[in-house]
Amino acid sequence: MANIAAQRIKREFKEVIKSEEVAKCAIKVELVNDSYTELKGEIAGPPDTPYEGGTFVLEIKVPETYPFNPPKVRFMTKIWHPNISSVTGAICLDILKDQWAAAMTLRTVLLSLQALLSAAEPDDPQDAVVAKQYRENLEMFQITARHWTNVYAGGPHVNSDCDDKIRRLVDMGIEEHQARAALSSYNWDLERATEQLFS
Amino acid sequence: MADVQFGRYCIHFFNTRECPNGTKCSYTHKTNHEVEQFHYVVGNEFFLGKLRNQRVCRYFRRGHCIHQQNCHYLHDNSEPAAGRGSIDRVSRNTRAGTNANPPSTSQTADMVNKNTVNNRKELPNKQLKISSEEILTCKKIEETSKSEDAKEEGACASPVSSFRDSWVNAPEFIPKSSLQPRSYAAVLGSESANDGAACYTDLVANRKLCPYANKDGVCRNILHCTYLHGEKCDMCERLILHPFNEEQRKKHRQECLMEHEKNMELSFAIARSKEKSCGVCFEVIMEKASGEQRFGILPNCNHCFCLTCIRRWRQARQFENKITRACPECRVTSDFVCPSMYWVDTKEDKDKLIDDYKSALARKDCKYFKKGQGKCPFGNKCFYLHALPDGRKLDVGPPPRQRRPRNQENNIDVLQVMLWDYLDERDFPWQSLADDLEDLVSFFTDSDESDWSDYEIFFD
Repeated sequence: MANIAAQRIKREFKEVIKSEEVAKCAIKVELVNDSYTELKGEIAGPPDTPYEGGTFVLEIKVPETYPFNPPKVRFMTKIWHPNISSVTGAICLDILKDQWAAAMTLRTVLLSLQALLSAAEPDDPQDAVVAKQYRENLEMFQITARHWTNVYAGGPHVNSDCDDKIRRLVDMGIEEHQARAALSSYNWDLERATEQLFS
Repeated sequence: MADVQFGRYCIHFFNTRECPNGTKCSYTHKTNHEVEQFHYVVGNEFFLGKLRNQRVCRYFRRGHCIHQQNCHYLHDNSEPAAGRGSIDRVSRNTRAGTNANPPSTSQTADMVNKNTVNNRKELPNKQLKISSEEILTCKKIEETSKSEDAKEEGACASPVSSFRDSWVNAPEFIPKSSLQPRSYAAVLGSESANDGAACYTDLVANRKLCPYANKDGVCRNILHCTYLHGEKCDMCERLILHPFNEEQRKKHRQECLMEHEKNMELSFAIARSKEKSCGVCFEVIMEKASGEQRFGILPNCNHCFCLTCIRRWRQARQFENKITRACPECRVTSDFVCPSMYWVDTKEDKDKLIDDYKSALARKDCKYFKKGQGKCPFGNKCFYLHALPDGRKLDVGPPPRQRRPRNQENNIDVLQVMLWDYLDERDFPWQSLADDLEDLVSFFTDSDESDWSDYEIFFD
């Protein structure tokens, strides 16, 4: 790994650990290997959003050319968000792409992602299905996002209605996540989800 | 001392009678008996040494030299110096005056005999000369001795010396303090007693300071050294202030003050740069490897980067130009990066730095213009020098406006962007820090490493 990238990540790592956001448990970075090329980030779901109470794990890959190129960041925790793929966890955020600046750090990236959770950009979606739901049925989007936060990110809000519907599909032999994804995509319409799953 | 023989004498031979270069030495080999150590500068040449026997004996000039004929120095009176008085001559004149006969000393008798023969013919001429100098006490015999002096030394008698010559004839002896010979120590020690010192002031003020003390601050031979030793300057702490030459003192103090200001400025620059870290690599710039301790100053914002990082960021091709032209911290666009040894925080410092940078670039030949053989695509907007081989500067006019043909809506001035690329890409290999501590900001020749191929896509 290029010297400058490793040196910088080391410094940033210390910076994040000392930062006040860590004290508030808002963000966190952990090393995955010794070479500083791969890190594990964590962000707390921002308050007053469907993600509140959840903890989202991120995979951070630092390229050789860092900081002249942005780190590659992906959600490891499944999340229901217009700008994040519900399948792969890929993120659509300008600063991680063409609006990157060399002075940005792991800390600013994590804080930007946290801000993204509280202010989605449905017009620049990563996940078209989620974005459609966000635009057309915001209430349903919030229910879904909160449910996903509860199931995958340890959020506190249990939605028994959703759980019931998923259990019925699981009883039919469908894998749980597959069932949840199908139901979420069809606004928790059991009939249409079943239809899609068995077609 | 019209025919003073200055030369460049070998310092090794002078000091030790040995020279590592032996006979191949390009300087003349003279020992310290033959050469007086004396340095002076003509243009860029530094000369050392003056043939010793050309120098007039100071004691003889003051009136008495105990070495007499054996003295290493010249015993003649050709130099009309104040306070001069020759016992030899006075005694000779006295005898001549009283006896109206040739002096008894056989040596002088010979000379006078010879001279009187010559004087017979030249006498009217001499007389005229002397009377024109308003010498009242003219006795024939004195004239003879005077013309003898004139003959010997090629110098004319001044009113002072003629007065002195006739002092023996005065009705009573009145010591004249201004003409009284004073000891060297008395002259050096009594600046306040300027009555007597006045006539020495000119003489003493022009005397050279000891070159050894000037060089090392210490004269090892202080007891016997015949040079003047300077007083201590409280700023540079060197023994360099001329004790009598007020002009030199003033000049040196001014130089010291300027030097001091320069040093202060430098230490301020270092102090404000010391803690600064680069916004890209996060390293403290002054603690980086010696070749990378350079700041890249952006003209339009006050964010701090090292030159390497900011240049690398600006050359990143994976982003739009708008992104890489912008400051990585605040996204304010700057057209170029100005290299600097130190961080600048005030506007005046920054403006001066940028002006210096531009004028430094303007002295370097543009590698596209090639002294008129090539064509610079940046025209007169180029920061580099567009001059013909004879040094004549040429205004090549504004650059031809070229816009990106395949993207008509996006009217970026491609040329402008490329110019800044060109400026950014020309790299300045830095000399070692020690070499340019003198300059707060220094620029060095570029290595012509920029790659024109990057731009060719714009020219299709």
